[in-house]
Amino acid sequence: MPPVINAEKCKKCGVCAEICPGDVFYGTKKKEIPVVAFPEECWHEASCIDACPVDGAIELRIPLPMMLSYK
Amino acid sequence: MEKEVVKTDILCVGGGPAGLMAAIRARELGADVIIVEKSNTLYSGGGGAGNDHYVCYIPEVHGRDPKPILEAYIRHPQVGIRPEFANIWLDKSFEIVKLWDSWGIPMKYNGRWEFAGHAFPGEPIIHLKYSGGNQKQVLTKQALQRGVGILNRFTAFELIKVKNRVVGALAFDTLNDRLIVFQAKAVFMGTGSCIRLFPNATPAWLFNSNNCPFTTGDGRAMVYRAGGALRDMEYPVQWAGIKYFARSGKGTWIGVLRGPDDKPVGPFITKPDRIYGDVTSDMWTSVFDDYMKSGKGPVFMDCRGATREDIDYMRYWLIHEGNRGILDYMDKERIDPLKNAIEMSTYGLGVKGGVEYNTDCETSLQGLFAAGQEYGGSMAFATIQGWIGGEKMANYIKGIAHADISVDNKSIETSKMKLTAIRNRKNGASWQEANITLQQILKDYAGLVRSETLLNQGLQNLERLKDTVNNTLVARNGHELGRCLEVMNLLDIGEAVMLSARERKETRGKHNRTDFPFTNPLLNKILHIKKEDSKVIFEWKSK
Repeated sequence: MPPVINAEKCKKCGVCAEICPGDVFYGTKKKEIPVVAFPEECWHEASCIDACPVDGAIELRIPLPMMLSYK
Repeated sequence: MEKEVVKTDILCVGGGPAGLMAAIRARELGADVIIVEKSNTLYSGGGGAGNDHYVCYIPEVHGRDPKPILEAYIRHPQVGIRPEFANIWLDKSFEIVKLWDSWGIPMKYNGRWEFAGHAFPGEPIIHLKYSGGNQKQVLTKQALQRGVGILNRFTAFELIKVKNRVVGALAFDTLNDRLIVFQAKAVFMGTGSCIRLFPNATPAWLFNSNNCPFTTGDGRAMVYRAGGALRDMEYPVQWAGIKYFARSGKGTWIGVLRGPDDKPVGPFITKPDRIYGDVTSDMWTSVFDDYMKSGKGPVFMDCRGATREDIDYMRYWLIHEGNRGILDYMDKERIDPLKNAIEMSTYGLGVKGGVEYNTDCETSLQGLFAAGQEYGGSMAFATIQGWIGGEKMANYIKGIAHADISVDNKSIETSKMKLTAIRNRKNGASWQEANITLQQILKDYAGLVRSETLLNQGLQNLERLKDTVNNTLVARNGHELGRCLEVMNLLDIGEAVMLSARERKETRGKHNRTDFPFTNPLLNKILHIKKEDSKVIFEWKSK
């Protein structure tokens, strides 16, 4: 669900949990892989990806209702 | 729940662009300043993921005669400025632009002042393109360098008043589950917009809103409960953008709005235009909804015919505006704007109104200042007024002593008991249930069709919901308690919206009263709503 953490790439720095505007990583402990506690509250503005020091450690999975309609 | 008291000269509620600018300026002028921010000032709020346009007058670009620029500014449908603020904007906008540029927010593009988007062909362009992806980080750094105290994950939820003067606020420390009493000589309200009051484009997905869904009108609600005046609460606003992936920023797209037959729906452009964009939906936000309802739709944002360079240019600004999520999604799904036209939609309703404040950022309550999206929009407006608010507060606190808040202990204790009850309850309603129910009431009884009978029933339903929520809301942890506080704020705002809508017995703008289907020239006034000893009072003010 929304932010997906790549456990192999994650450095466990906790910056995503610290800055997430929606606090979706609530309950994350220091020096541990962040917990996505409230995925349905993600706004998908990608702040966590922007702040993460490692490329590709976080990806956003866009929920199905937010589909694009195109031709 | 533990309680602690913190004293400061100035308390800024909300660390958005307005609050940060106010804090920076007030601190420069010698005041002690604390910002309480329910998220984290590095990325919080409507400006958190960035921004890409700043409404600005630059004489070397626009010419020395400011008159056409001022007229374009006042008339612009997306800017929506109150006329009394327009001259301040004219004087100050370039000053703030230069200041931001010197702080490290790139206000120039390829070494020049770049104006584009949200414009009518042939008219002056007043939107300066800037690379604001880092704006919150830069402003936070500037505030910290000057010695502003920033407390993140602190949700302010109630103003403290002593003898009709605002002397502080109560805040909940989300991470440590405790109550903090902030005592201040002046309080600055800058909590941003009011989202999550009406259902959005995908009602089952609560946080899919075009503006930041964590801005829940907290300032409006606190001011209303404290007896301060709100204005224009009866007017709905309606935004538009990419269908289902709700997001502001439609003006950044370089394409033409076309129907299914590929004919443009608006009169302004016939091929993608980097400088002007398609301004049709700025004027006519319901165009997408209107086309769907009539069966003529859908309407697409059609970038076909643009160049690859145009698309790269568009992507650059969309990223700075905080729309990286949508671009990554398009890349993953192999949606190419040069080949695929993307459907647009009209989003759910929002609230135009907010906290009444004047050009000195003074509200109707002594000691309380406000700016930014507490009422009105645009990054320029928020930052200019924030800066001015900082100066006014630094001046205001001179010679003022801290009030004795022990006389207000009763309301502090009541708030503490309310929070403790929500945290201790084992069974009851979640904040989500309350939020969804509030949205359905607002949509059905105070949406785009309004009348006395609808509003009367809606208000009854709302008051019942408020009662139930007060007695049954449950929060399993600090995070959920924060969300509960947001929903309780939204319930109060919903009440102010419905009461104001019932009071304005005419149709004006998107306030559509079927029982008064005309615009009454005698009501061309501003409606204030406020509470005195829990009694609601309306005041009609001349424009």
